[in-house]
Amino acid sequence: MMPLDSISGGCDLKRRIFLTTAAVATAACNRKSSSLRFFTADEAAILDAWLDVLIPGDQDPGARQAGVVHYIDLQLTRKFRKLQPAYRSAIAALGRLAVQRGAPSYESLSFEARTAIATQMEQGALDKSLFPDGGKTAFNMVLDHAMQGFYGSPRHGGNQDYSSWRMIGIPPMPVRGRQHYDIRDTYPQKAPVQG
Amino acid sequence: MKAAIAALVLCAAVLLVVPTASFVYEAGGPEACARCHEMGSPVGKWQASTHRNVPCSACHGDALTTNPNFHLSNARRVYDHLRSDLSEKPGLRPADVFAIVPRCQKCHQQEFAAWSTSPHAATYKNIFLDQKHNSTRHLMDDCLRCHGTHFDGGIRDLVSPLNNTGPWTLRRAELADQPVIPCLSCHSMHRAGHRLEQRRLEAKTLGSRQEIFRPSLAFFDRREMAPVPVSLLPLPAIREGERNVRISPDQRQALCYQCHAPLSTAQVFSGDDRTPIGVHEGISCLACHDKHRQTTRASCANCHPRLSNCGIDVEKMDTTFAKPGSKHNIHTVKCLDCHPKGIPPRTKQTAGLPPRQN
Repeated sequence: MMPLDSISGGCDLKRRIFLTTAAVATAACNRKSSSLRFFTADEAAILDAWLDVLIPGDQDPGARQAGVVHYIDLQLTRKFRKLQPAYRSAIAALGRLAVQRGAPSYESLSFEARTAIATQMEQGALDKSLFPDGGKTAFNMVLDHAMQGFYGSPRHGGNQDYSSWRMIGIPPMPVRGRQHYDIRDTYPQKAPVQG
Repeated sequence: MKAAIAALVLCAAVLLVVPTASFVYEAGGPEACARCHEMGSPVGKWQASTHRNVPCSACHGDALTTNPNFHLSNARRVYDHLRSDLSEKPGLRPADVFAIVPRCQKCHQQEFAAWSTSPHAATYKNIFLDQKHNSTRHLMDDCLRCHGTHFDGGIRDLVSPLNNTGPWTLRRAELADQPVIPCLSCHSMHRAGHRLEQRRLEAKTLGSRQEIFRPSLAFFDRREMAPVPVSLLPLPAIREGERNVRISPDQRQALCYQCHAPLSTAQVFSGDDRTPIGVHEGISCLACHDKHRQTTRASCANCHPRLSNCGIDVEKMDTTFAKPGSKHNIHTVKCLDCHPKGIPPRTKQTAGLPPRQN
């Protein structure tokens, strides 16, 4: 039998992997579609509402419109993998806090109520049964990631449609030409330039 | 004998399992593709795009293809998915980009024919093995910004040796006859927009009601490996010395300016800039250049009919910008070039027009 490597033109796919993945591909067809990689839809809704407080939209898009939640969701399966438990527990705690305050869910709280919660978190003043340090660590973690997702390159999942760059006035693609020159003019005394 | 049959069955199973999986996947329609988390975003965009009536398989290939790389690529993607080793965005590899070109042709015959006879259809061999260029200028990574936007490597991975003596060869010989500016360099298939109307209806639409530019127009940014829509690309402020040059507000030009760009001084004709000054100042690139063919000669007659006041057939004039000695370089020609004895005074009808650049 022809080895798979030769068929694929030198790819490093092994036969066992090939068979396993193909079998799982068929089984995976029945999954429900979602663009989220880590969060559940409910978790994403809570985080989105939290991010909306940190970078609210005005005449320019905020974190919600810039899709920062997708940046965090994406990076939690990549560079931020170690932070998965921290996010999951922080979001669950916010959900419990909202219930304690009589709301069906965190995202159903008013903007002012969510802002008050965020302020308490920043000061580490939330109930210690929800957050051991009063929420300060979780607040700083999400704030850092919110800024990264809002101002970073869209390729990482946030800053959709370059919304923050447009707000600042930075074109997504600057116009930049290239100087034309002739090597024979630049190095008239030298032998041809070796790379 | 039994062992041979078992081996045969095993071989058949190995060979067919991935195409079968692909077939089952495709049978679920576009939604099936979105069942993988990482495909949700591109499929979502496609559903609002001009191509939303075109199935995924029409551009990306289908399970019935005999190309083993297609099936192995799918298997590799599933394997990466299971290992949670996913790229930030699912992207097309260079081979996929080239494979899409003939699929575009199936529906866009006229555009393809025009593009394939244009300078923009130059191949990797034409551009990177050019004797004159390589012996007088350095090959550099920045070349790939416009020529070979989808190439997944640097110039060292493409051309060898990187010197000015040659002989030069392509490290990836399979690219030799592939276009350096394929369709996806200037078009984004998943960009949101209305479905394309039938051509016969489009021709009947009054000029003022026609769309200004196709929503698919986008420049492929190789740093981000993503297309940037033309509506977000800047039109530069060009200067001639201290004077601001008038440029057309036609946003489609922003696509041209990405490659035909001035240096940071923004001086007209610096770098690769071709902004017209003189009598043609303020005219859009696309007023003269056919959008896929880039030819210009036939467009002259739109504004300069043969029965013009002076009786000169402008289509026979030497208007090229490529020759330094051209007397009527179309990008710089001024009134005095044709009216050496003086420029006729303004008439009542033209009195309100902007001042001439004499």
